[in-house]
Amino acid sequence: MIDTFSRHRPLSLLAIVILVQVLLLAFQIKRENNVRLVRYWAVELMTPLERLGTWTFSQVGGVWGGYVGLRNTRAENERLRSELDKLRLRTRELESRSAEGQRLSTLLNFHDAHPEAPMLAAQVIGASADPTSHTLFINRGERDRLRRNMGVITPDGVVGKIVEVFPSTAQVLLINDKDSGVGALFAVSRTHGVVRGSGDPEPHMEYVVNEEKLQPGDVIVTSGEDRIFPKDLLIGTVGATKPGNPFQIISVQPAARLDRLEDVIVLLSLQELAPKKSEEGSEAAGAARDGAQPPQSSAAAPKTFGIVTDPNKFKPPVAPVPSAAPANETPKAKPAVPQQ
Amino acid sequence: MNIGGHSEPNIEVHKFYSGAVLGTCLLALVFQAFLHKYGRWSELIDLPLLVTIYFGVSRRNPVSGLFLGAGIGILQDALSHDNPIGMYGIAKTIVGYLASSVGARIDTEHPLSRFGLIFLFFHFHQAILALTQRVLLNHSAPLFTIHLFVDSLVTAGFGVILFALLDRLRRSS
Repeated sequence: MIDTFSRHRPLSLLAIVILVQVLLLAFQIKRENNVRLVRYWAVELMTPLERLGTWTFSQVGGVWGGYVGLRNTRAENERLRSELDKLRLRTRELESRSAEGQRLSTLLNFHDAHPEAPMLAAQVIGASADPTSHTLFINRGERDRLRRNMGVITPDGVVGKIVEVFPSTAQVLLINDKDSGVGALFAVSRTHGVVRGSGDPEPHMEYVVNEEKLQPGDVIVTSGEDRIFPKDLLIGTVGATKPGNPFQIISVQPAARLDRLEDVIVLLSLQELAPKKSEEGSEAAGAARDGAQPPQSSAAAPKTFGIVTDPNKFKPPVAPVPSAAPANETPKAKPAVPQQ
Repeated sequence: MNIGGHSEPNIEVHKFYSGAVLGTCLLALVFQAFLHKYGRWSELIDLPLLVTIYFGVSRRNPVSGLFLGAGIGILQDALSHDNPIGMYGIAKTIVGYLASSVGARIDTEHPLSRFGLIFLFFHFHQAILALTQRVLLNHSAPLFTIHLFVDSLVTAGFGVILFALLDRLRRSS
């Protein structure tokens, strides 16, 4: 540096003298807002450096916060994830308990609404291993006074009947099993038939003549003729219909959710269930008395815990003439309900 | 061109009587201020600039040339009522330095050569002044006008006469 200065001494001196005079000028000259030029220059010189410093600190802080600080964030994240998983499990457990409580509450209400009929609540504990067989097992058996051919229902509708009884469990044949049959009739027309399982999720109603005018959503109830279910328990509604030979082919949508059964009721006798104890049933009955339209689906059916409240309100379009003849002999015949 | 380099050995370096340089510079500044009272015609001639150029090319020492120019310029600024100190100082510092460097390389004794040098240095001096005013003061000072051109011719002509008079202050070698 000193060597360079000595080598270019005149030029260096020139630069120094000019610089001194420029600084002298800068101390005297004032710019806008009465700011001295030297201060203006100083600010202009320092501002980029300050900006650079601020930017550098900001970046360093960002790196620290974004990367180095992530060590703690990762641990915290793992802890929070673990806590979240526990809370999710807890939530599902509570939801399950809540659903169970609702189911049990429904069963209890049903039981309280029909004190005249002996019944027993049971839980579904298993199903058949055979995919073509629609059966399930409940946690009640011989010790609980269960017998064969006792009806099994839910507050929504008919489920099936008991076919095997074991000391502490029982096997229930669902109404959509191909070996099942339930004496049934249309709530409106009072036309009789038999609801049989077909192996499909939806059972069919058989022995209904082609002349019978049916609409999807027509309510189907038990007729009581099978000596298993009391009269007027809701089975389901009419799904699709098409003419057959010699009877209509009627698909039935079960009122009970047969694929999601968890709690059921076993009817210990054939005592008919009176709807008068049910508040909701009263409302539905009232609505029917007021001329309300008959229910078009299971969801729109009277909420009477599976019982059609006032079948007389459903006036049949054509008065059927039931026959005592066997079902498979004449289309007009009253069907024979199989004793399964 | 090595402007800041050492003087060539075949170029004569003139010496002046003691006090002659300082006295001449002060007289030039006084006359410039004194003549200013007698009309704007005095503005045609820049006596301090002529003195700076003369002693620069005669003594042929860039260091003394730039300090002489700086001193004369700063004093000229100090004597003016509105110029910030340093405006003429910067311009005359550079002119003094360049005049010393040029004087060490070319013949500056011939009247025509002197006329040309003064003419060029006048415009160079004016250019530095204008540039300084534009950069530092935000004033739009002109780089070249007809008036400046006339000034440069008058100053150059007067400078040739003045330089001949100032040659008498040299010490004989």
